[in-house]
Amino acid sequence: MPEDSDWEAYKVPPTRTPVSERTTSVPNPATFFQTVFNYVVDAPVTFVREWIERQQAKNKFYYYHQKFRRVPDLSECLEGDYLCFFEAEAQWRRDRMVDQEIVEIVRERLGACKQREGPNQFQNCAKEVELLAQVTKAYQDRYGDLGVHGNARTCLMKQKHRMMEERKAQANASQ
Amino acid sequence: MAAMSLLLRAAAAWGARRAASGAAGGVRLPWLAGAARLPGTVAPVRHSSGHGKKMFIIKATSFYDTRFLNLLRFYIFLTGIPVALFITYVNIFIGEAELAEIPEGYVPEYWEYYKHPISRWIARYFLDPPEKHYEKQMALLDIEAKKTELRLTELEARRLMRHRGDGPWYHYETPDKNLVDNSMKSTPDN
Repeated sequence: MPEDSDWEAYKVPPTRTPVSERTTSVPNPATFFQTVFNYVVDAPVTFVREWIERQQAKNKFYYYHQKFRRVPDLSECLEGDYLCFFEAEAQWRRDRMVDQEIVEIVRERLGACKQREGPNQFQNCAKEVELLAQVTKAYQDRYGDLGVHGNARTCLMKQKHRMMEERKAQANASQ
Repeated sequence: MAAMSLLLRAAAAWGARRAASGAAGGVRLPWLAGAARLPGTVAPVRHSSGHGKKMFIIKATSFYDTRFLNLLRFYIFLTGIPVALFITYVNIFIGEAELAEIPEGYVPEYWEYYKHPISRWIARYFLDPPEKHYEKQMALLDIEAKKTELRLTELEARRLMRHRGDGPWYHYETPDKNLVDNSMKSTPDN
C-alpha cells in the first residue's frame, strides 16, 4: 500500500477544549505520569532514533517512482499486431493497478475522516462520502464484472457496450 | 516427617492406581478433571536420605525429542543469527532510501526504484532489468507471430496450388498417354 502523500487530508483540526481554572490544590496526577513516561520511554527512544538517523544521514540515497511512457492503446492497434497488443495489455494492467490504488486511497481518507469527526461524521464527511461513491461507481463501470481473466480486450468490449447503451439511451431520450 | 512419607506413599499408590486404571479404562478427559498429575508412573524407592521420600518416576523417554529440538535450534541459529545481525546492521547504519522526484534529464537505473538497500543490491547484481524481460517477451511474441503468419501463408499457397494446379507443388507422375490402349473405345459397338 503506497502512503498517501497528501497529509493535509488526515490532519486533525486543533482542539477547542477551553483552558479550565484550577479549583483544587491537589496536583494533576496526569502530569506525573506524563513526566514519568517522558523520562522512562520517550527520551531514550528519541535519543536512539536520532542516533540512528545521524548514522544514516552520512550516505543518503534515493529511490524513485517509475514513470512509464504511454504506448498506443488497444483501440489504436492493428489487427494481428501482437506486439502492439502486448504493450497495450501491459499498459492497461498498470492503469488498472493505479486505479485500484486510487480507490484504496479515497477509502482510507473516508475512514480517517470518520475517525477524526467521531459523532459528527454524517455531516462533516459528506464530501468524502460523495467522492468515494463517484470513484467506486467509475471503477465498477470500467473494470467491474470483467472477472479474473479480464484483460484489455474484454475491457474494450465492455466500453463499446457502454457506449452503445449510451447512444441508445440518447436516441430514446431524443425521441 | 513420618506423615510426610505416609502422604507421599499414599500419593504414589494413588498415582499407580490412576495410571493403571487410565491404561485399562481408555481415554478420559484428564484436562477437564483438572487434577494435578505426576508425569508417568511413580514407584517409591527405599534408601531415602535426608528429607522426603525419593520417587523413581517411570515415564517415556524424552531423549530423542530433546535431541531433535536442540539440533533444530542449533542449525536454525547457526545461520539465523549472522543473517539477523547483518540485516540489523544494514537497517541501522545504511538505512532505507528516501523517495525523491526524478531529476530533470536523469534516467534512474533499474535498481534505483527499490527502497530497501538489500533489495537494491539484489536487483542490481542478480536480477535482470525489467526492460530486458519485457523486450525478451516481445521478441518471443514476434517470433511466434511470424511463425503463425508463415504457416498460414503456406497453407494458403498449398490450397491455391492444389486448386489451380499451376504451381510447383502437387505434380503427380502419370503414365505416358502413348501407352494407353484405346482399342476398347475405338469402335462404338463394343
